[in-house]
This record gives sequence, structure tokens and C-alpha cells, in this order.
Amino acid sequence: MDTTTDKKLTKKNYRKLILEGFKKHVLEHGEMPKSVFKFAKDLKMKEEDFYIYFTSFESIKSAVLADIFDETLIQIAEQGVFEEYSAREKFLSFLFTWIEELKKNRSYLLSLYESKSKSLVTLSKESAQFKEKFKAFANEIILEGKETEEIATRPVISDRYDEALWIQVGFVFRYWLDDSSPSFEKTDAAIEKSVNLGFDLMGKSALDSFIDFAKFMYQSK
Amino acid sequence: MTDHLNEQQAIPVSKVQRAAKFISTGAKVGGNYVKHYAKKMVNPSMDKEELHKNNASDIYSSLSQLKGSALKVAQMMSMDKNLLPRAYQDKFTMAQYSAPPLSFPLVVKTFQKYFSKSPDQVFDTFTRSAVNAASIGQVHKATLGEKTLAVKIQYPGIADSVSSDLKLVRPFALRLLNMNERELDHYMEEVEEKLLEETDYILEVRRSREISGECSHIPNLKFPIYYDELSAERIITMDWIDGVHMKEWLVTNPSQESRNQIGQALWDFYDHQVHNLKTVHADPHPGNFIIQENDQLGIIDFGCVKVIPEDFYQGYFALIKKDLLINSDELDQVFFDLEFISDKDSPEEQEYFKSVFREMISLLGKPFHSDKFDFSDDSFFQRIFELGDRISNDKKFKKSNQARGSKHGLYVNRTYFGLYNLLNQLQAEVVTTKPDWLK
Repeated sequence: MDTTTDKKLTKKNYRKLILEGFKKHVLEHGEMPKSVFKFAKDLKMKEEDFYIYFTSFESIKSAVLADIFDETLIQIAEQGVFEEYSAREKFLSFLFTWIEELKKNRSYLLSLYESKSKSLVTLSKESAQFKEKFKAFANEIILEGKETEEIATRPVISDRYDEALWIQVGFVFRYWLDDSSPSFEKTDAAIEKSVNLGFDLMGKSALDSFIDFAKFMYQSK
Repeated sequence: MTDHLNEQQAIPVSKVQRAAKFISTGAKVGGNYVKHYAKKMVNPSMDKEELHKNNASDIYSSLSQLKGSALKVAQMMSMDKNLLPRAYQDKFTMAQYSAPPLSFPLVVKTFQKYFSKSPDQVFDTFTRSAVNAASIGQVHKATLGEKTLAVKIQYPGIADSVSSDLKLVRPFALRLLNMNERELDHYMEEVEEKLLEETDYILEVRRSREISGECSHIPNLKFPIYYDELSAERIITMDWIDGVHMKEWLVTNPSQESRNQIGQALWDFYDHQVHNLKTVHADPHPGNFIIQENDQLGIIDFGCVKVIPEDFYQGYFALIKKDLLINSDELDQVFFDLEFISDKDSPEEQEYFKSVFREMISLLGKPFHSDKFDFSDDSFFQRIFELGDRISNDKKFKKSNQARGSKHGLYVNRTYFGLYNLLNQLQAEVVTTKPDWLK
């Protein structure tokens, strides 16, 4: 094969070609391609070459979500102030930037995820890659939050905080898809309010004191 | 009950939750009444002041969590001091100074939306947290080159929530203001319109510049310069006005001359707007004014501007004239035009309402009736409050099935109540200039 000379570059290009081609198809037809064979043919490539990069359309969808996440992190890094933020602010900043990235792909996302039954949280297969990356990111924030005591360490539940933040991401995604306010202002408000609530719940609160007190009363009976 | 505001921790998210917030306040207020009457049985001498205090505190704490338009209504109610018992007033006056802050990432996001840059890239320095909160936004202090700037940023989604928030406030306003429903609707419509205008920062910049330009000749007034290139739909950048709020200034025990100078500047400012520009800064609450060194008055917020229609102006101020020389037919016409009375009233009702409104207007017009007026005269204010009380407890008004008074009157009245009130706080004596035809 003549492509062996610059295999790495070609590989990257093909991957991009497939991703772009897939998005374009969804945008123009409002649905996924009928088959890998047909899709590969439209891209003027062999079906078996397709499988070098992706195993199914599901894996393409998964890659799109993961790419948006990666792009978000790049954008955040460019803003410069991120490192100075508290945990709460970091998560807020992530969501705001993420929504901006999503906006660039709104039509594509709408045609695939608009129906109510499909949310990020339930679509475990296609969001798995994104979820894994997100969790790594979220755990860093949580760890930092615990260090600064912004987030309370509680037995059992505090190991599940990353899961809670993931559900919140799903909520914001859903809210944004349904949002019809000008320039998605309501999504901004929803992010601000839900994150504040989330972090208040994770922080030390009256509930902790209550449990502590209840435990004491129970034990000292 | 702690008096300081909760940081923005648990803002009720959905409309349902916000409604729930109000319901829980309602329950508390109900509870306060029960407590009041229980205490009263034991101690009959107890007056209602304490009850009002408890209610105000509960209502205020729920309003402060709602932010946005609900807070704005609290401010408005605190303005119309004649309408509210004293205990409510103090509580609500606090709303004029502080509201829970917006997170910094959202500020960054807002900047990126309009300027594609973060605030740190736009300005040399930019405070991370808000230095001041306005009811629908917050203010950050920034520097750029030699200049110190105030940057006002609006909360997202405020414009959308105005209508639904007002609907939530309605039952409370009904109870607090002792108005009948029609009257309140009348009031709310105008309030809604003005609130929506207030969310339009581009309009605000334009009006600020127009009015401050027109008023630049008035001595002892200071207006900030507004920067278009650094302003957008949700952001306003203007000069930072150094100085202190009126309340803090008064604590420093300024001399009578100083008080009079500030008071005179205020009076001149409003006189020029109402009678010459017919466009008025209709939000004279203390938070919008800054007092600078050498007794200069800085004016910083033009969110609420009322344009006074010519025919309303003529009618309204004709009534304020000292010697009402017009005959009773003409006077009736004026009352009709101002919607104080209507065809639907019986002759007795017409007579009754006319006499009340005449009394009200002659009282409000009192400062216009002499060359100088001493606003430190508390008895004058006492009479206004008494009249307000009397009207709000008057069964004839409550039963009346229509709104009284033109809706334009709402903001003009509010402006004058606000102005008188500020002057009273200042204990100032001012030369009450007026146009020639009013003399």
C-alpha cells in the first residue's frame, strides 16, 4: 500500500474524515446512515478500512462526545484562570465551557438526542468513553474540594460524588436540549443554580450535625 | 432570624420551588399572626409593630432568596413608604443594598459571550467577587489604564422570569399593600413593563447618557461616563464613582450646609427632569446615589426611567398649583383624565374620591407652595403616612371595583415620595424651584 509511508497522519485523517462524514450525514438526513457498507462507500473507502478506526456507529457517536469533552478542557486551559478557581467554580466553569462547545454541534446533537427517552445517563454505551474521561476530571475536582474542605468526606456516599456530578451533567445536557430561551440564558441560570445546590449538598451542612447528634443519642442510650 | 443575606446557596430552582418558598413564607406569616394574638391575650398593650417586624423579616428572607424581579418588587414596596407599615420599610430598605452574588465563572462566561474575551483580558484588573449588588445584576470594580471602572453584569434569565416572578409576588403584595385586586393588576402591569425595560442594558446606557447630558449644567451633580465599546446587552461599563451611600454619609454627621447642598442638587435634578425633560429617573432609592467629597452628588443608576406623557403632566401638576383657580367643571375633567373617577361611579362616590384625592395632592404639593421647604419637618411626613394609612384601610377603596389613578401616576408618585423621603433623611431645607406656570 502506498499509504504506509505516512501511516500516522493518514490514520488521523481517516478518523477525522469518518467523524466529519458521520456528522454531515446526520445533519443532512436527520438520522444515522443505514449501514456501515453504505456509509463507507459514500466516503469512498472500503468497509474493512472503516473497522480499523471504528467498530460501529455507536463508537463514532461515543467518539464525538469524547472529542467535545477534550475540546472543552483545551478551552478551559486557554482561559488561564482555571487553576485559581475553587472546586465549585471549576465545575461551573467546566459546564459553561462545555455548553459552548455543545452549541457548535447543537443540530447534530438535537437530531440524535432530542427524543426524551435518550439521555446521556441512560445511554451507557455511547457515553461510556465520555463518562470515563469526565469521571477522571471530576474526581480531581472532588479531591481538591475535600482538601480545601469545600466538600465534606462522608462514609460511603462521598465515594459516589463523581456519579452525582455525572448525573448533573446529564441534567444540564437535557435542559440545554430543551432550552428555547434566547442564547440559552436559562441554561446558564440552571447550571449556576444546580451546581450551587449540588455543592451545598456535598459541603458540610446541618445534615451532618444532625446525623452526628442522632448517632450520639443512639449510642449513649 | 439572622439579618444578613444568605450567600447564593440554595436558590430555589424551578417555578414550583419558588412558589413553595412563598407558600412557606405565607405559613410563617400566618404563624406570626397567631403568635401575635396569643401574646396579645397575655399582654393587651402590645402593639402591632412587633408583628409587622416578624412578618417583614420572614417575607424578606424569602424574597432575598428569589432575587431578580421579586427583589425588585421588595425595593419598590420599600420605596412607597406611605403604603407600608414602618417595620416593613426598614427590612425592605436592606434589599436596596445587597443581593446574593453571581459566581465568577458565570461572569467570565458572560464576558466571553459578548466580547469573546475574559474580563481579565479586557481590563487590567478585575475584582473576582462583586463589590456591590444591584437587584438584577452585580457590580465589579475594574481598572483600565488610568481609569477606575464600575462594571455591572446582569443575572442570566432575569428578563424571562419577570412575568412569572411578579405572579408569585402578587398574593403577597395584595396582603401587604392592602389594595384591591384590580388596583394591584393595574400597578403590576406598569411595574412589569418597567422591569422589562430595566433588563435592557443597551437602553439604559442610552438613557443614562441622554439624561446626564441634559442635566450636566446642574451644580454639584456628578455623572459617570459610559463606555459603549465595553457595554453590551448584559454588561454596562462606566466610571467608578468614589464616595459613600447616603446612610453612611449621614452617620458622619454632615453640617446643615452640606445637607442642604446635597438636597438642593437632588431637587434641581428632579425638577429639571420632570418639568423640562419630561423624562425622569423614577428610582430615587438611596442605593442609586453616591455622596462624594465636597458634597457632590453622584448618580449611578438609570435602569428605571419614566417618560411622562404631556397630557398627564398638565393634569397632574395643575392639581398641585397652590390656588386651584380652575372651576369645578374643569377640575372634574382633570380627575377624569387622571382616572381618579370614572363614569361607573355614583355621584356620592365621585364626591368622596374627589375629596380624598384633592387632599392627597394638596398634601403632596405642599413643598411646591412656598419658595423654600424644610424637609426635616417630620410632621409633614407623618401626615402623609396617616393619609396613606387611612386610604389603605378605607373600605370604600377596597370595595371599589376599579383602579384609581392613572398608571402614569404610579411612577410619578413614587418618584416624588422617593425624593421627599430622601430629602427627609437628609433633613435638608431646599429652595423648591418650579416652572413659572406653577407659581
